[in-house]
Amino acid sequence: MDILIDILLALLSVYLAFRCMLAPKLSKAVFVFFAFGLTLALAWIRLGAVDVAIAEAAIASGFMGVLLLDSLRDFSLTFSKNHNVIEVKPNNSVEVKNRSELFPKIGLGIGLLLFLLISLEAVWNIPEGGGLTALAGSKISESGVEHPVTAVLLNYRAYDTWLEIGVILMGLLAIFAAGGIKQYRKAGITPSQDPILRQAILIFIPVLFLFGAFLLYFGKMGPGGAFQAAVMWGAIGILLHLGGWPVFTEIPRRLRLLMLTAGLGFFLFLGLIFMTTGGALFEYPPAYAGLLILMIETFGAVSIAAALTAIFAFLTK
Amino acid sequence: METYKIYSITSVVLFAIGLGGLFLAKHFLRKIIATIIMGGGVFLCLVSFADRDSLSYADPVPHALVITGIVVAVTAAAFALSLARRIHKFSGEETFTDEK
Repeated sequence: MDILIDILLALLSVYLAFRCMLAPKLSKAVFVFFAFGLTLALAWIRLGAVDVAIAEAAIASGFMGVLLLDSLRDFSLTFSKNHNVIEVKPNNSVEVKNRSELFPKIGLGIGLLLFLLISLEAVWNIPEGGGLTALAGSKISESGVEHPVTAVLLNYRAYDTWLEIGVILMGLLAIFAAGGIKQYRKAGITPSQDPILRQAILIFIPVLFLFGAFLLYFGKMGPGGAFQAAVMWGAIGILLHLGGWPVFTEIPRRLRLLMLTAGLGFFLFLGLIFMTTGGALFEYPPAYAGLLILMIETFGAVSIAAALTAIFAFLTK
Repeated sequence: METYKIYSITSVVLFAIGLGGLFLAKHFLRKIIATIIMGGGVFLCLVSFADRDSLSYADPVPHALVITGIVVAVTAAAFALSLARRIHKFSGEETFTDEK
């Protein structure tokens, strides 16, 4: 019975990936992409990775889908115009092009097939490594948390997580740079006049905040943690923007910058304190590890939520 | 057949679909979606081997890698989207092909 569910999920995700690439309309591809992300999230629950499933459903499917949907507004309107221009061209020139394009396509197909076979072979015969499960489990009592994934993220490999918060900040800066405008755009989304939508958003915000805070705290002993909480809190900012309250762009600039850099800064500050007291960069004293991890996670979640809101606010005109 | 084998095979197929889509798709948005599908394949591969190495719980190290990876991939994709929209804004183009 179990194997049937697994095979179904596997087939469904492959099918949806195909539909994503082959759907004739871009809008359809984006909606199929939502479904693809949720299917992957189900697959991760089957593999026992509930933390990853929450992150996938919320960030990779939800947040990314929202960004794609929003950019669809730019593209889909003009794409049909270009399409007409191609059709107007005389027939014979198009045919010549088709023939010259055929050869690279066959080459690409053979290459992809070979690649697929080689990687299938590699995955099928992957050597038994044993993994790091036992090693990660043996030190869990010293890490300050009970959930192994949180222990890896914020204690054993805290350096990676710190740099990753930095990468998000870098991504935000790159988006600002590519946007070409120094100021945040004024919220051009016409403030929704729909009173039901605005009321519904106001009702959802405390729920989202509470759920995010719960995920943040629960990360200590189960699936959850800074990233999952950050998406919940980021969703608050995005919903407020959609409802016509661009709070994030209207709060003072200093506060905005502080929110964006709090996670990276606090993490680094703690690391430097540990170094001055004679430890390694992120070597928490075991007695305080639980409290310190919770503080780092809170600041990190605020920063990531602010970064996600900023990306959304900046990308939507 | 164990659960992890099904998903590790799926991950290879997903990566290949994404790679093919990246080359064959014309529109920027579709290319970006193709890279995200490739990333999904890599993550699925990592997590499926975490399941293979599970004792009472699955191997937490690949899980942590994948969680950070998802967030970084989404940030990079958002950057790609902003670049694509910038190209579109200035040149009106939405593919890399010469034909217009």
